[in-house]
Amino acid sequence: MASLDCSAAQLAPLLGGNATNGAAAADYICRQFSAVSEKFTATSYAVDSTYLLFSAYLVFSMQLGFAMLCAGSVRAKNTMNIMLTNVLDAAAGGIFYYLFGFAFAFGSPSNGFIGRHFFGLKEIPSPLFDYSHFLFQWAFAIAAAGITSGSIAERTQFVAYLIYSSFLTGFVYPVVSHWFWSADGWASAANPGRLLFGSGVIDFAGSGVVHMVGGIAGFYGAIVEGPRIGRFDHSGRAVALRGHSASLVVLGTFLLWFGWYGFNPGSFLKILTPYTHPSGGYYGQWSAIGRTAVTTTLAGCSAALTTLFVRRLVSGHWNVTDVCNGLLGGFAAITAGCSVVEPWAALICGFVAALVLMGWNMAAERAKYDDPLEAAQLHGGCGAWGVIFTALFATEEYVNEVYPGRAGRPFGLFMGGGWRLLAAHLVQIVVIVGWVSVTMGPLFYGLHKLKLLRISPEDEMAGMDLTRHGGFAYVYEDDSLDNGMRNGRAESFPAVASI
Amino acid sequence: MADSLSCTAADLLPLLGGAPNATAAAAFLCSRFNTVSTRLADATLAIDNTYLLFSAYLVFAMQLGFAMLCAGSVRAKNTMNIMLTNVLDAAAGGLSYYLFGYAFAFGSPSNGFIGKHFFGLKEFPSPTADYSLFLYQWAFAIAAAGITSGSIAERTQFVAYLIYSSFLTGFVYPVVSHWFWSGDGWAGAAKTGGSLLFGSGAIDFAGSGVVHMVGGIAGLWGALIEGPRIGRFDRTGRSVALRGHSSSLVVLGTFLLWFGWYGFNPGSFLTIFKSYNYTNRSYYGQWSAVGRTAVTTTLAGSTAALTTLFSKRLLVGHWNVIDVCNGLLGGFAAITSGCSVVEPWAAIICGFVASWVLIGFNKLAEKLKYDDPLEAAQLHGGCGAWGLLFTGLFAKKIYVNEVYSGHPDRPYGLLMGGGGRLLGAQIVQILVIIGWVTATMVPLFLGLNKLKLLRVSREDEMAGMDMTRHGGMAYIYHDEDDGSNLPQFKMSRVEPGDTPTS
Repeated sequence: MASLDCSAAQLAPLLGGNATNGAAAADYICRQFSAVSEKFTATSYAVDSTYLLFSAYLVFSMQLGFAMLCAGSVRAKNTMNIMLTNVLDAAAGGIFYYLFGFAFAFGSPSNGFIGRHFFGLKEIPSPLFDYSHFLFQWAFAIAAAGITSGSIAERTQFVAYLIYSSFLTGFVYPVVSHWFWSADGWASAANPGRLLFGSGVIDFAGSGVVHMVGGIAGFYGAIVEGPRIGRFDHSGRAVALRGHSASLVVLGTFLLWFGWYGFNPGSFLKILTPYTHPSGGYYGQWSAIGRTAVTTTLAGCSAALTTLFVRRLVSGHWNVTDVCNGLLGGFAAITAGCSVVEPWAALICGFVAALVLMGWNMAAERAKYDDPLEAAQLHGGCGAWGVIFTALFATEEYVNEVYPGRAGRPFGLFMGGGWRLLAAHLVQIVVIVGWVSVTMGPLFYGLHKLKLLRISPEDEMAGMDLTRHGGFAYVYEDDSLDNGMRNGRAESFPAVASI
Repeated sequence: MADSLSCTAADLLPLLGGAPNATAAAAFLCSRFNTVSTRLADATLAIDNTYLLFSAYLVFAMQLGFAMLCAGSVRAKNTMNIMLTNVLDAAAGGLSYYLFGYAFAFGSPSNGFIGKHFFGLKEFPSPTADYSLFLYQWAFAIAAAGITSGSIAERTQFVAYLIYSSFLTGFVYPVVSHWFWSGDGWAGAAKTGGSLLFGSGAIDFAGSGVVHMVGGIAGLWGALIEGPRIGRFDRTGRSVALRGHSSSLVVLGTFLLWFGWYGFNPGSFLTIFKSYNYTNRSYYGQWSAVGRTAVTTTLAGSTAALTTLFSKRLLVGHWNVIDVCNGLLGGFAAITSGCSVVEPWAAIICGFVASWVLIGFNKLAEKLKYDDPLEAAQLHGGCGAWGLLFTGLFAKKIYVNEVYSGHPDRPYGLLMGGGGRLLGAQIVQILVIIGWVTATMVPLFLGLNKLKLLRVSREDEMAGMDMTRHGGMAYIYHDEDDGSNLPQFKMSRVEPGDTPTS
């Protein structure tokens, strides 16, 4: 790219005239160019920060979306409990990610396993990271913890929830994000040194890093705890424990969709980056960002439509909550490759994601695995599909836009890019499953052994809102008797008994 | 206007005098000025795309708002059905608009009626349109289809819904948006090349006609052909209010629509980084017009809400948040056409009249026994049409020329001294939209009706579509209400008789 560098020594002789005037003119001109150059640098930072901050706010709104989705998907008697877990995700996550989570994830320079700078945001802002980056990453971290809450909903003690959530947001998740997203990470596609299989992993916005981590953690929690009472009856038949509000499910789903526009396109982190492109200067990172928003949209759309029609065939009726879950599965899947695939490929991604989700749901039922939000199936299952999908459909042009500077890097198998990206992605799936298993598995098991994990059967039957959260979430009839009105109202004597 | 940054070494060379190295000096300087120019172009694209993308996300949030508004406005037994229609709007619309809707709307170069490039986003992006524009226009397209769902709520088969929605988003709506918003379109004020309609072109900045009237008129026909809901008008002809089940959802939806309207109206500028080049007013640029548009939007909605509040209080004797919400939305639907070309005080007038227009159309609907669960035809069709007329009356000369530059003597608002030609173009817009939507959607709805695909059966309507076609009720507040837990067959308990022995 052409430069704005201006060296007075270089310019002076070119201007001719006597040496003094030439030097003075050159100096004058060069200072103007330097000022312009500085202004451009500041402009870039301002524009990129605006972009990243608003993307972070969008990702944060996914927390609200997930809270509503969770609330609507559980029974009314457990609504306050599940919503409190979502609020606490954000709050506890804020503290722990600030204290050490961000440092473990992005603390450069460090080794390939874990980061070791920026504890408590020391030395931030740096040339690499500003506060906007921290906020954006925090919003991602709390998303991962939120996912897990869905699998263990309706039967988990709140203390267990606080413990696993802090551990996941403060340690388990940051380490995984370090491996795949930090330039130091051993498996990152952006690693300037050696690349895994000469490729590195392309998990652009986190089908693996966020969705699989949350989903596999949830899987372990739900397995260790066991199904909800009544979910599988004595004959082994599955009983649907339906959520209490389809309106909240739809509200939550749409808010998640809305927020995904920060999650996926925002993962570019900057928008003011030109690309050298044969067609001309109108094409830059802003175009790739727009394209990422489009691939995200199309994957969700095709997943929703596929789910609608397949469920109609299988069950005989339309079902909005299934369609919502299918939609979200499409998003979870496209998240890995949203920036490196063509829009038509996103349609395929969503179509397959819908089928993958339905398949995992059938398998879960057969295995008597109970997950109130189908979180393990959706985030774990569709997330894994998304990781594989990316390795099949990533195009050469887009991979090199997003990860520039290395000629000849592998790309999608079906696009002619060879096997190495797929190999790296299979490694990603294996190590994520392995890491989460060895960290969250023992944690859940330990909590279980200490009788801190699952609530008592009596509390579960009555509902946790009543037994542990102060009362029901909904008070639609006036509880005037409980307000002490009885004292102020003369008791009427019972009608004279029939003689 | 300031000098351009383009720099040709050949032009600069003679100005540097006979300096021995003037050639090199000219090359040096020009290279740097060209770099500055490129960097500015990049910055402009980044800023404009950020602005347009976030506006698109806001317009998308209106889909959620409309879903909640619809849910709260229907009876609980039909909640899942209406929400699924809103989800599917977005999903099916994504597919059809990507495959051909966007091409019909904006596929330039083409003729005045319909576009013919960019099917499946082929050869995209172009120098004038990037993915952000596609996403923005998709969000608009699904808004139009959503509106129609309100008119036919609570009694329409889901298959009929899928069919009309795809047709509206994929064809009917894109063609209308081509006429008024594409540079090729025959009727818009932004038409490049050739003559403008009445020397003016119609000004429908963000779509009171293109979006709201299209959705509303389509809904009108669907509702007319289907007929009113069972029980809406009793045998004596008196109307019975079939109240929605949740005013909280109605208010939630209304506020989300308000929130999203800040993407819908100001976002329709598509770019924000543009100077208007007034001498000594460098602080004033398109960013100011964008802000002013957000302000006119706000004022119209606020005024409509207040007007509705007090008029309904006078007319029916009590305050009513649902009516106020609908009035608010009517104000927004009306200002959408002229939000960028009128003064803020005019927006207040717009909202005030919109409120009365809605009340009037609602009264008329009742008289004619027309049932529209969301009053969508009255609100979007009626207030949308008022919005177009309003623009023809109040569009200000200076703003019209800022937004639609290149024709300095063009007409503007009648009441602002701009003559009647803009108003004439607006009236033409109203008529052609009604005509086109009628000509396309009536045969579709009639056909669906003939094939018995349109309305649900009496029994399904009485029981509620959630129960009969969507797998169960939307709300289960108590465990014992969840019928799915019951075993397949109920054992009846056989008790010893309770009759007292004495």
